[in-house]
Amino acid sequence: MWETVAQAVINGLLIGGIYALVSIGVTLIFGVVKIVNFAQGEFVMIGMYISFFLANQFGIDPLVSLLVSMPTLFVIGVLIQHFLIRRVLGPNDMPQIFLTFALSLLLLNLALMLFSANYRTVHTSYSDEAFHFGELYIPVAKLIAFVVAMLLSGALWVFLHTTDLGKAMRAAAQNRDVAMLMGINPNRVFCVALGIALALAGAAGSLLMPFYSAYPFVGQVFVLMAFVAVVLGSLGNVIGALVASLMMGVAESLGIQFVGADSGLIVAFEYGAYRLRGNFGFVRSGVQTQCNDGEQ
Amino acid sequence: MKTNRPHSVSNQAALDRALSKRQGRREFLLKTGGILAAGAFGAVPMRGWAADPVNIGALYPTTGSMAQIGVGCVAAAKLAVEMVNDAGGIKSLGGAKLNLILSDVQSDTTVTRTETDRLITGNKLSAIHGCFASALTLIASEVAERAKVPLLTGSSSDQLNKGRTYTFTPFARASQFALAQLRMSRLVSDKPKVAVVFENTAFGTSTSNGLREQAAAEGVEIVLFEPYSAGFTDASPLINKVKSSGANALFSVSYLNDLILIVRTVKQVGLNIAINGGSGGFVIPDFYKNVGKLAEGLQGVAHWNHDMDANAEKVNAEYKKRTGEFLFEYAGGLVAQTFMIADALERAASTEPQKVRDAIASLDVSTGYAAMCPGGKVKFGPDGKNIHAHPVGVQWQNGDLASVFPDEDKRAPLMKT
Repeated sequence: MWETVAQAVINGLLIGGIYALVSIGVTLIFGVVKIVNFAQGEFVMIGMYISFFLANQFGIDPLVSLLVSMPTLFVIGVLIQHFLIRRVLGPNDMPQIFLTFALSLLLLNLALMLFSANYRTVHTSYSDEAFHFGELYIPVAKLIAFVVAMLLSGALWVFLHTTDLGKAMRAAAQNRDVAMLMGINPNRVFCVALGIALALAGAAGSLLMPFYSAYPFVGQVFVLMAFVAVVLGSLGNVIGALVASLMMGVAESLGIQFVGADSGLIVAFEYGAYRLRGNFGFVRSGVQTQCNDGEQ
Repeated sequence: MKTNRPHSVSNQAALDRALSKRQGRREFLLKTGGILAAGAFGAVPMRGWAADPVNIGALYPTTGSMAQIGVGCVAAAKLAVEMVNDAGGIKSLGGAKLNLILSDVQSDTTVTRTETDRLITGNKLSAIHGCFASALTLIASEVAERAKVPLLTGSSSDQLNKGRTYTFTPFARASQFALAQLRMSRLVSDKPKVAVVFENTAFGTSTSNGLREQAAAEGVEIVLFEPYSAGFTDASPLINKVKSSGANALFSVSYLNDLILIVRTVKQVGLNIAINGGSGGFVIPDFYKNVGKLAEGLQGVAHWNHDMDANAEKVNAEYKKRTGEFLFEYAGGLVAQTFMIADALERAASTEPQKVRDAIASLDVSTGYAAMCPGGKVKFGPDGKNIHAHPVGVQWQNGDLASVFPDEDKRAPLMKT
């Protein structure tokens, strides 16, 4: 019995690491730029396709292609902030929601047009391997993904707490107006925030590639969990999103193991809802946004 | 003023603008209309001097989510028509050639309805074949029934045999697939303990229920019957459950992506279990391309396989030369269907769809390309079902699909996994 529980927790933590990379990106953008990026999942998809094509054309290992996917998506993030998001930052939320949602639809259908709906996989030497400890096992590819995800999260934390730019980002997140009065250039900070968030999504894509298939809709699978984790970890809080993602992964895994394989998400979400009761203000504001969305 | 329109317009400039715009639009319509018309008529063959060709409609999804399979089907349909024509066409019609008219149903039910309608009303068709996915074929079949044009299909839904007179299914039905899968589990163990995992969709639920209902009668014990959310991120918890159920065979009713995750996770866990992936996406070359070596030894079921007889091997070799891949289940089946249509035309000595339909209904072949199916015989019952049809159990061996079940269709020994 204990092996089953332990295995379920291991499985949950490993996939939670991937959820974390996606949700940290969402929460960073929300915290600093104050917009919800509905297209975050599509950037994971782009990261996956970058790794897929590098592996397929040049035989580059998906882990090595992190060095390509992350900078590429960083640049895309900066460009998106500079040319698109900057223009819709104002008192009204609607244009921002429309912009990122439209971006999501655009990227999704563009991928469908360019790459078709086929599943693409990369097979590496470690894709099917696992470490065995008695009854327990840890898949190599997922362990690597988890470790790299934690390292990247740690690096982000160090960046936010020790560098001037990182401190400026946190300042802008805390109070944008005061930060601007202190001489922080908001557009520069926002560009970097978008860049980092998208680079993390790209990293998630590359790390997924050794054990998950790339297809145009793949982002939707991960972004759903990421959004719940972001709200659960209180919006804009990087450490909160990380811890919440890991907990969601474990809740999902235990749910599949002990409730039913089609109810893993339900268990994860109910767990999220249970945790949120002490945090009612955020739920209300979240619901408020959705209502406004529905009215349009 | 250039015009004497009844209503007065005070602003001359605005009027000019409106006029030039109207002329522009007329010109635009004229041009595009011309191009459209040219395209439409271009599709109609203009070969009046020889024996009039016989029009055969082929409805396959060459774009959209099923495009990969649809494109393969079209390649096979073209090959089949060439084979019939190279052998002298339809002799009773003065050596008339078959003329394949293709239509893309875009993997979409709405498009299938309009495309089938357009194909039938726009061309004088003798017969149709299509559409790969049962959901699409059911709709095309409804339209064909109303227009009284015979339709042959390899789609497996049992629904296609209910209340239809112009729809013919030469191959095994969905209900037969479940039975074949259960019997195959006996190849693995005398006391099969089967874990059934299925996606919680209409496809997954109906297929797995078929398995559960027939299991007891076949002496197969189902030790785990587990629905899962299609498109999951991680198969590990599910395989954990399979492991603790003590099953020695795993039936996975899944689409490609989930199946790949399941197969990989089984390997990682180090679980020794025979996997049966069913039919559809599992028995196409793409599956092996995605899964690679891990696919070796996996079992499935198909309504057609290229190693069944010498004719099938011959068609397969030609198809492989053209496309680089082996002739998969659905594409191979439609080559046989084309020859069934040719056989019917030969006996009907007419291109009238009604007469062709009657000739298909009285078809009874056991040799040649038309009889290229498991069992090697085709004869339709009153419900349009081939009374001899049964599925064949297949296994991935060295990147190819080998027939391993039942004994009379067995072409290679079962590879132990």
